Amino acid sequence: MKRVVITGLGLISPVGSGRQPVWEALLEGKSGIGPVASFDTSLFPVHLGAEVKDFDARNYVRRQPVESMGRGSHLAIGAARLAVEDAGLDLAHYDRRRVGVSMGTTSGEPRLVEQYNDTRNARGLEAIDSAIFPQYPCHVIPSNIAIELDLHGPSLMIPTACAAGNYAIGYGMDLLRAGRADLMLAGGADAFSRITYMGFARLGAIAPDCCQPFDKNRKGMVPGEGAAVLVLEPLEAAQARGAKVYAEILGYGLSCDSHHMTAAHPQGDGAVRAMAMALRESGLRPDQVDYISAHGTGTLTNDRMETLAVRTLFGASSPHVPMSSIKSMLGHMMGAASAIEAAACAMALDTGFIPPTLNYQEADPDCEWDYVPNVARETHPRVALNNAYAFGGNNASLCLARCGEWTQ
Amino acid sequence: MTSPVVVAGAGVICSLGAGIQEFEAALYSGATGIGHSVLLGGGAIAAEVRDFAPQKWLGSKGNRALDRSARLLCVAAHMALEGAGLATQDGTEGDPNIGLICATMFGGLHSIVSFDWSGLVDGPDYVNPMEFPNTVINSPAGQAAIKHRLRGVNSTICAGLASGLYALHYAAEFLRFGRAQVLLAGGVEELCEESFLGFRKTGAASPSGQARPFASGRDGTVVGEGSALWVLATEETAQARGLRPRLEIRGFGSAHDAAGIGDFQLSGKAATAAIEQALESAEIGPAQVSAIIAGASGSRAGDEMERRALRNVFQNRLREIPVCAPKAAIGETLGASGAFAALVGGMALARQNLPPTPGASEAADGLRLSPSAQPFEGSCVLVNAFSCDGNNASLVLRSWGDR
Repeated sequence: MKRVVITGLGLISPVGSGRQPVWEALLEGKSGIGPVASFDTSLFPVHLGAEVKDFDARNYVRRQPVESMGRGSHLAIGAARLAVEDAGLDLAHYDRRRVGVSMGTTSGEPRLVEQYNDTRNARGLEAIDSAIFPQYPCHVIPSNIAIELDLHGPSLMIPTACAAGNYAIGYGMDLLRAGRADLMLAGGADAFSRITYMGFARLGAIAPDCCQPFDKNRKGMVPGEGAAVLVLEPLEAAQARGAKVYAEILGYGLSCDSHHMTAAHPQGDGAVRAMAMALRESGLRPDQVDYISAHGTGTLTNDRMETLAVRTLFGASSPHVPMSSIKSMLGHMMGAASAIEAAACAMALDTGFIPPTLNYQEADPDCEWDYVPNVARETHPRVALNNAYAFGGNNASLCLARCGEWTQ
Repeated sequence: MTSPVVVAGAGVICSLGAGIQEFEAALYSGATGIGHSVLLGGGAIAAEVRDFAPQKWLGSKGNRALDRSARLLCVAAHMALEGAGLATQDGTEGDPNIGLICATMFGGLHSIVSFDWSGLVDGPDYVNPMEFPNTVINSPAGQAAIKHRLRGVNSTICAGLASGLYALHYAAEFLRFGRAQVLLAGGVEELCEESFLGFRKTGAASPSGQARPFASGRDGTVVGEGSALWVLATEETAQARGLRPRLEIRGFGSAHDAAGIGDFQLSGKAATAAIEQALESAEIGPAQVSAIIAGASGSRAGDEMERRALRNVFQNRLREIPVCAPKAAIGETLGASGAFAALVGGMALARQNLPPTPGASEAADGLRLSPSAQPFEGSCVLVNAFSCDGNNASLVLRSWGDR
């Protein structure tokens, strides 16, 4: 089986853009959460969001008119260009038919739906700009990346909501292993939208004052946005071009709760099966995992369920495998969340530091584990497991390793 | 060589009928499901699932929360599972080794628009939170998993009009990688006022309301809806579980034009590459293709692009190969269309008889299209799904037991 490695990280997030600035912010415990600026929240009981600030799409969108596409595409193209740059790739050296794009999202281009309804409300259906229709379907996001970078290989969107990034990165690995591509850009993108915000607000899932995963007083998640794209290639190709390798992807596991559209299975049945499948596929035992990147949204039920699932698989006795949630700083970047979390895993494996769970103050008797509270820790992890859970009961766990640690 | 992935059952619902038998009979009779849409009203022409009564298959409980996409998918999944003898008994837990891979293009667009509209017009306090889950694009697949206790891998795949073929390939790869034992794979798309408006406003919809693939007088697409699913397993698992293989997914190819959103690339370069790649991965040459299921819908540019791509690959032999364009019968089912095309290809292989293309004139545009069924001999069928946003995919199907 071909070994697949990560050689480039393109990140656009609420704490900044670019691999190094984002990583430094995460280790320093900076938060990207603040009052929502992109729309009026006065009719909502909550006002926090994690928006991408200081992002100018004109710096990234070059082959098409910037205004021709939605914000999801803007963020995705930005992350893709940063990833290619970070990997030091000269795409001119590649057979473009063998370079593909695999992306994940929750909502694709929800702001085009908002534009549709705003126009319909103000001026009627016939006034709606016909140009928004071709840009709405979510697969247009990877297509726009392909157009911008002139990539002619497989291109698809896997919209499995908040677990989509892991799905897309995993499938990028699959396509390389199957010999369908020589290089894959894989990750996730989502744009902040009133639709998503309204939905979570109506479910009572948004935190009123801060995002504090696993804390006893946690009150919810904070919707966010952004994009993360990873450059994936076979190890031999990376070595041949002398590329910097951040981490290796060993395998992944998927499962479905088949229980409820929005609530996780109370015993974490699907979460346990996804983690177990990821480890089985990677040829690892639970005791070989050094770091768990939690889904850790900050809602009462998710964090309790995830802790239970981890305790089921890893055993309850300490010392516990350190587990943290960077959503405490980034908010929930939706379809991009598990992609940027996978990037953080790669950085942890590469640098030896694991990022903290911010705002962790008081232990919850229902959540007993080592959550790496508030301060980054130097642990030199060799293997990381990245968890992601989604609406529809879609669970995905991705297993990564420091390169050279494991030969399969 | 890894174990082949075989088709061991199917479920289908669309404007031509519900269930394999009804669908197949209508398809071979040359019927078309295109007509006045009751759902859309206002004289709209579409290929609609008429008098849709999901409770016939799903029982009367728990359907209210499902939107149209989810209902169509749940019905197709029900039929596929029943047909293959895999239906979960009431009260049992469900099999963690059976999953679902679902293609779609617009997902539950109508649910998303309605949810936002309610917030905009009535205010956020009046929005029904129970409708929020339907706004995510993977909602139909998640709902079908709950309905049918499908606990294995569950994924939603979007690649425009090529989504259906991408999903079938994704499923086949997952089975080869051992991530599931049995997968329902295919697609779903619902008819809704929003996507219909899009087709009309962008000029993609046929003003005459006729889908005439490859015809010189064609004037656009007629939107359709439905769900088509296959039951897939590796040969080994099929044997172990007592499933009966009907045919094999033999090869897949995909290529992107990387040129623009909303326009077919007339050169057909990427479409050609997709076909060539599919043949190569099936380890066959153009000479071994006995019939073609086209993705053509009546689109002026799209059909021309496909004709050129076919011509590039098959050259002068093209006029000898029978072609069927099922969108003349079932409309453009968008994200599900690849799954429908594959289903039609499988039926053609089993019968050694290609279904009619309603309204086709003989030898349209140098292609062997026919308003009547076309018998053929051979074991390989090519299935195309090309999209106006650059996504192109082709699939090669092969008879089982003929290797």
